[in-house]
Amino acid sequence: MMQRVHVSGKKPIGIIVAIVCVGVAILFGVHVSHEDSAHPSSDSGSIDAEMVHVASTVGGRLKELRVVVNQHVHKGDVLYQLDPEPYELIVRQAQANLDLANAEVENQTRLLSIKTTSAATADDQVVRARTNRDLAARTVKRLKPLAGQSYIPWQQYDQARVALHDAEVSLSQSKNQSVAATTAIGDLKSSLAARDASQAALDHAKYELRQTVVTAPADGYVTSLRVKAGEVLAPSQVLFTLIADDEWYATANIREINLSSVQIGDCVTVHSMIDRHSPLRGHVESIGWGVLSVDSAGIARSLPIVPRQMDWVHVAQRFPVRIRLERANPLLLRLGATATVEIRHGAACP
Amino acid sequence: MRFTRLRFLIPVSCLLASEGCTLQGAPSFPVVGAYFPDWMVCGLVGVAVAVGLRVIFLLTGLDAILSFRLFTYVALGVIAALTVWTLVFGP
Repeated sequence: MMQRVHVSGKKPIGIIVAIVCVGVAILFGVHVSHEDSAHPSSDSGSIDAEMVHVASTVGGRLKELRVVVNQHVHKGDVLYQLDPEPYELIVRQAQANLDLANAEVENQTRLLSIKTTSAATADDQVVRARTNRDLAARTVKRLKPLAGQSYIPWQQYDQARVALHDAEVSLSQSKNQSVAATTAIGDLKSSLAARDASQAALDHAKYELRQTVVTAPADGYVTSLRVKAGEVLAPSQVLFTLIADDEWYATANIREINLSSVQIGDCVTVHSMIDRHSPLRGHVESIGWGVLSVDSAGIARSLPIVPRQMDWVHVAQRFPVRIRLERANPLLLRLGATATVEIRHGAACP
Repeated sequence: MRFTRLRFLIPVSCLLASEGCTLQGAPSFPVVGAYFPDWMVCGLVGVAVAVGLRVIFLLTGLDAILSFRLFTYVALGVIAALTVWTLVFGP
């Protein structure tokens, strides 16, 4: 017994100390590892904000630039103005077209009135022709027995019959003329439609004229502005980027194995590395639903790309967790700044 | 409670960390333009504690009664590193 102890370790107290130390270290390590995965953190996060790529829907020469790079602007402030002259000319042209269309409507209204009167006249002509025809018919009817008994010459009876035929032709003609005159009255539809089209063209021209003045869509900072007045811009060409500063966010990539312990609304301590001593408080707003991984990358309509070689050890995928920051010192918030993120612990989450 | 523990630790961290008395703040430490993570600081503390204990034990003669010295000192260093993490950086 003594010899066996002597061979393996010499001093029993030393063995006990070694076993205790190693055991405590292992248990402590397991505990810390458990704690760490229950409270995910990341030191590679970044400060994030929404932005607007400021552009006008119309093009033209940049006439007046009222902002400089890195300036703070408020929603509704005028940022820049394009040369409005071409658009004012288009408005004038459209206004003239509208006036023309309005005049045409009045013209057509007058024509319509004339045609309506003509149709009424044609109707009166029909009445007159019918009266004449009726008289001629009665005359023929009266003269027929007289002519048969030779009280009057046949010549007179023939003349009456011809007059009746003449009156019937006149009646038929005047009826046709009446139908033609009624049909010719028409309506104002085409001229009214032309006027509406001109009105829409004028409204569009005025809209484009308004678009030459570009205002700030949100409070924020002007960034990446490198041009001066005089630059010619194409429609929708981005002049600079406006970083909205009404809401700030931090984005941290958290390993998928720790995502189950991240809940929406969890308190988060964020340190912007601009000043690593000032903790910012935030809350988990959402967790990204998808990232593109190299294994699944490929053309959508083609066959999947499956590499032949594979790794035995796989690195955990990370997903971006979006954290909405509470009001903080604006000097700490710059888009893209490095940030450390501690979910459900840290200085701001007691 | 956390702050009392931190305050207790500040003199220790003044000695151990190159940052001086500024352990409070982000768990990421700038050194000449690069950020080093908190666990790296813990590892350095562990190494320093293991070496320091070895020196102290040699001077006091405690080293003589130990066996499996490599495992013992490594375990002591690991315990020190994990303690720093728990008290300073942990939740």
